[in-house]
Amino acid sequence: MHTRFLIVDDSDLVRQGLRTVLQANPEWEVSAEAANGSDAVERFKESHPNVVILDFQMPGINGIETARRMMEIAPAVPIILFTQHASAELEKHALEAGIRKVVSKTDAFPMVGIIEALLGPGASPASLERPSEAGPRNSRNDR
Amino acid sequence: MNDQQKVNILMVDDQPAKLLSYEVILKELDENLLKAHSGREALDQLLKNEIAVVLMDVSMPELDGFELADMIRQHPRFQKTAIIFISAIHLTDLDQLKAYQRGAVDYISVPIVPELLRAKVSVFADLHRKTRQMENLNRDLRSLSARLISMQDEERRRIARDLHDSVGQLVASLSMNNGLALLEAEKLTVTARNALHQNTEIVQQLSKEIRTISHLLHPPLLDEIGLLAAIKLFAGGFTERSDVQVSVELSPEIGRLAPHVEISIFRIVQECLTNVYRHSGSKTASIKMWPSDERVLMLQVSDQGKGIPRERSVAMSLGASRSVGLSGMRERARELGGSLEIQSSENGTTVTAVFPVASPAVVGA
Repeated sequence: MHTRFLIVDDSDLVRQGLRTVLQANPEWEVSAEAANGSDAVERFKESHPNVVILDFQMPGINGIETARRMMEIAPAVPIILFTQHASAELEKHALEAGIRKVVSKTDAFPMVGIIEALLGPGASPASLERPSEAGPRNSRNDR
Repeated sequence: MNDQQKVNILMVDDQPAKLLSYEVILKELDENLLKAHSGREALDQLLKNEIAVVLMDVSMPELDGFELADMIRQHPRFQKTAIIFISAIHLTDLDQLKAYQRGAVDYISVPIVPELLRAKVSVFADLHRKTRQMENLNRDLRSLSARLISMQDEERRRIARDLHDSVGQLVASLSMNNGLALLEAEKLTVTARNALHQNTEIVQQLSKEIRTISHLLHPPLLDEIGLLAAIKLFAGGFTERSDVQVSVELSPEIGRLAPHVEISIFRIVQECLTNVYRHSGSKTASIKMWPSDERVLMLQVSDQGKGIPRERSVAMSLGASRSVGLSGMRERARELGGSLEIQSSENGTTVTAVFPVASPAVVGA
């Protein structure tokens, strides 16, 4: 089932790698990217992704704050924190903000397994999204 | 500040003629001579100017020299001000003792021998001058030291940031590429496949080492989440590296503090634990932080080790310790307007620091 990703990282190299890893699955598409938190929130509002992958340490607001803002818009969209600083302490704060999982940046492939589990066999894109308060949903318009 | 900066000498007498005679004698010392004709004037001068030495007669018609000395000594600021008493009457030893008890530091009898008066006054003038010089030097030293510490913190933060932004992202990329190659492992020879598998482990190790270096340079969660999270993370990592069990009790009421306060407190905790590891032989340690009231934060780091050897402990209390870490901690606490104490016995060592906080440390519910 077609799944659309928003990936957020200030490193072009990491976004490029992530794109390749995610799109190795023919059903998965990286439909939007951002290099910092505030742009990420904008892209989130415009592109209605099914899954968000966020870096933690970025210029401007950090990944946890970014996730908080996204949770206020569409809380059903799973968000994963993809970071060099993965730790139990960070995870505690991440979960409080609504992030589903914290993954270390050297665990991109295990992350694929985690995303598959989050998406689940029975879930469809529709059930992952709630209408944005900003206006009518147009997630059916797959690009 | 040159060595020959003039100091102020205050001469007190209710008779102008006497003041004039002192002035004539002391003129060649080339210091600032100030005059006061009454107790009130004298105190006024003391409050307005920095006085190196006060010269006064014990028995003035309108003014009691001893009483004036008492009044001066009552002000905490003037408890150490040099007072030279002049006495016309031949005083017995008992009276001289009374004078010294009243806080006189010296004593000259009439008829005044000019060279003697000059000699006694200039001793105290020089002492005052040297004390002031030393205080200035101390102040400069402290200020330099604080700047160095702050620059060091800045540099470490920058390096940790660079590690994350360049090296760390490269390692992440490497890891992803390696994984992508492994997706087609069945197309490879066993040798190639094993090499890639080994790469996976190497990359994990690389990532771990970078994380450790970065954490020691600058606490990663400090800027983004705050001091409490940073301390907890550090304590956990420390236990992993050192095998010392650290218990952490941080009052959840403590909110975000100013960045320079948070980094200093963190560095003090870091230094304390490093000392526990290097010197104490203790297998356990504890970190406690709590607000003792709305504007005061207490920090206590203890271990159950063998304590600081007596010679070192004595040297530390005299300020003669050569330990850079210890002076660094003390300096950081001082810079924040706080203080740091170390107590040690053969059952362990406790470092206690007190910090005033500009904004309330306690965060409302």
